[in-house]
Amino acid sequence: MKNWGHLGLFAGGLLFGTAGISILTSEDAKKVYTHCTAAVLRCRDSVMKTVDCVRENCGDIKADADAINEVRTERAKAAELAKARALVAEAEAAEKA
Amino acid sequence: MYYTILHESAGRLRVRLGLSHMSLREADIVEYALKAGCPAKDVKVYDRTCDAVITFDEKDCRDRILQALADLSIRDDAAIALVPEETGRALSRQYEEKLAAKIIGTVLRRLFLPAVFRTFWCCCKSVRFLGRGLGCLFRRRLQVPVLDAAAIGAAMLTGDFSTASSVMFLLDVGEILEEWTYKKSVGDLARSMSLKVSSAWVREGGEERLVPVSGIREGDLVVLRTSDIIPLDGTVEEGEVSVNQSAMTGESVPVVRTRGGYVYAGTVVEEGECLIRVARASGSGRYDQIVKMIEASEKLKSETETRAFGLADRLVPWSFAGAVITFILTRNIQRALSFLMVDFSCALKLSMPLSVLSAIRDASAYGISVKGGKFLEAAAEADTIVFDKTGTLTYSCPRVEKIICFDGSGEDEDLRFAACLEEHYPHSVARAVVSAAEERGLLHEEEHTKVQYVVAHGISSEIYGKKAVIGSRHFVFEDEGCVVPEGDEAMFAALPEEYSHLYMAVDGRLKAVICISDPVREDAARVIDELHGLCFTKICMMTGDSERVAASVASKLSLDEYHAEVLPEDKAAFIRREREAGRRVIMVGDGINDTPALSEADAGVAISSGASIAKQISDITIASDSLESLVMLRRLSTALMGRINGNYRFIITFNAALIALGLAGILPPASSALLHNGSTILSGVKSMTPLLPAEKQA
Repeated sequence: MKNWGHLGLFAGGLLFGTAGISILTSEDAKKVYTHCTAAVLRCRDSVMKTVDCVRENCGDIKADADAINEVRTERAKAAELAKARALVAEAEAAEKA
Repeated sequence: MYYTILHESAGRLRVRLGLSHMSLREADIVEYALKAGCPAKDVKVYDRTCDAVITFDEKDCRDRILQALADLSIRDDAAIALVPEETGRALSRQYEEKLAAKIIGTVLRRLFLPAVFRTFWCCCKSVRFLGRGLGCLFRRRLQVPVLDAAAIGAAMLTGDFSTASSVMFLLDVGEILEEWTYKKSVGDLARSMSLKVSSAWVREGGEERLVPVSGIREGDLVVLRTSDIIPLDGTVEEGEVSVNQSAMTGESVPVVRTRGGYVYAGTVVEEGECLIRVARASGSGRYDQIVKMIEASEKLKSETETRAFGLADRLVPWSFAGAVITFILTRNIQRALSFLMVDFSCALKLSMPLSVLSAIRDASAYGISVKGGKFLEAAAEADTIVFDKTGTLTYSCPRVEKIICFDGSGEDEDLRFAACLEEHYPHSVARAVVSAAEERGLLHEEEHTKVQYVVAHGISSEIYGKKAVIGSRHFVFEDEGCVVPEGDEAMFAALPEEYSHLYMAVDGRLKAVICISDPVREDAARVIDELHGLCFTKICMMTGDSERVAASVASKLSLDEYHAEVLPEDKAAFIRREREAGRRVIMVGDGINDTPALSEADAGVAISSGASIAKQISDITIASDSLESLVMLRRLSTALMGRINGNYRFIITFNAALIALGLAGILPPASSALLHNGSTILSGVKSMTPLLPAEKQA
């Protein structure tokens, strides 16, 4: 049994040493490598594109958020002003009375 | 061009341009064309997604922006001509991709590569770091590379390959960022140098013509005068000049070039006049050439070894001492190694360049352009600030208020004469005279012969065979020995006090006194008070103007000192004395007469509307509309130093705590590594946030 195993390894080694190497270095294999590389590069580009897209959308969100906060501060300021006016009016009324 | 609006909010538009793909060049064309063609505050074009983000101020700009977008064409020659030779887009693209590849590669390997191969990969990669550490030891230096190598080696020896590879990953990322920062500052500097000049005087057949730089060919003869920026590389054919190369080399002492000497584009003629033969036309790799020269010079060198690394280097011996002491006390090599496993240098390496980069970015948002991180450091540490008066503390546009004529001459005639002389001189007073002549519609031919500048004094030349001089009282009466025409003495004695005076004499007799008013900037007094509040202990004003005018300006401002009637050399000498006394000095100026002082100071600040020589030599340029930028500059640079020191303290204490907890056996190595990496990335991310709180930005 042990011998068979050794024989199998030997046969495999023989096959790899002759046919395997020539397959790995063949023109066809090179084509496969090229396509794989191209796929990897495409993948990287699409990742970078997604990153940019996320960045742009973050910019959108930030701009809108700023706008919301601006409206809020404006409103708070207006409310404060109205309150102060009311106080002044009250005081004036009290003075008159 | 066809476009769709993807998102819109108040003051901001994001549009998708009607292109399926966009090259880097095309993105640049769109960006520059939009910046020039519409009233936008900022335009950013993303080439990968073909999107443009436009921010603008006023609400009525929107329609004009949309019109500009509709009119846009990437094949338009006018738009193409706007784009400089090199824009930096390719550089950021290159480094973004490098970083992305690094991160994606690491993630993929973690996820998919079997452990055995990962170990093999880690060993292969560690060779570089170990080699560097050994090299450092070999030169008998105990510096950060030694500690890096020790950390990686220690991790691998204890069989913790994932820690070793994460340390290497962080170091690699830090290295990429550092290289990016450096390349970017060199690129920005080179771009600012290659852009400054637009036209030059070319001599052809005995006649001088003003020719755009792009139209100058190799072998043409270009005339250079005092304060001209040399437009193109060339050799001196005639004459002698002293050239200030500090924009390129950081060396403030000018070099003398005589016949046969080589002068570089982007450097400045400090004194003299010459004729050069152009050795290289524009566009022929000039940008690359300037980059090469800057890299070879000392200008940015000290920046690559930022202060943080100096600080880190000092800690290395302590780390090793800790490891040795632990080993002696416990006789346990594992515990001793745990001292070396926490590597703080990658955290410093990551956060420092990011801090500096984001500070420079923040500064440019306030209209301040900084030529390198070390000038921000100087601005933070300075305790003395020296102002030039004209154009800096006063409005940069003095006006001619009155012309007092002597010797029976007429106002128009005198003004025409003066404008003819002053035309070539890049000083705000000279510009005032020229524009006053233009306002009155006075045209003039080039009637004079060779013009001679005497820096900070005036100009002398010959008109119709008579010697004409224009300049300060000292220059006209004492140096040139001119006299007041007899009978006009009473008028001369009664010159109005509130103005600066410019004296013009022809043939040794006073012809006219031009009265120039130059009001103090509205914000000057407030800014100076604020600067006092920001720990400047000495605020001075230096001016070539008379004592009388200087005193009247100083009375309006809370200055600590003022010096009147100083020469450019005196300004520089004053700054040198202050520096020798141990003070750190900022010089703020705008004119050709400030240049020696600007290069002498720790940080030279030029006003962007000033003479181009000043901008060229200065380290920092601020927008001309307000002095407020100076306050901003100080705040920003102090905040940057605060951040750098804060980062340093945080990184050191946090990692020291990790070491202590590891030594005590409370924290297992795996969680200590996780905390270490997490804190490193956190401090990096925090370093990129805006330096000043948002409400101050408005």
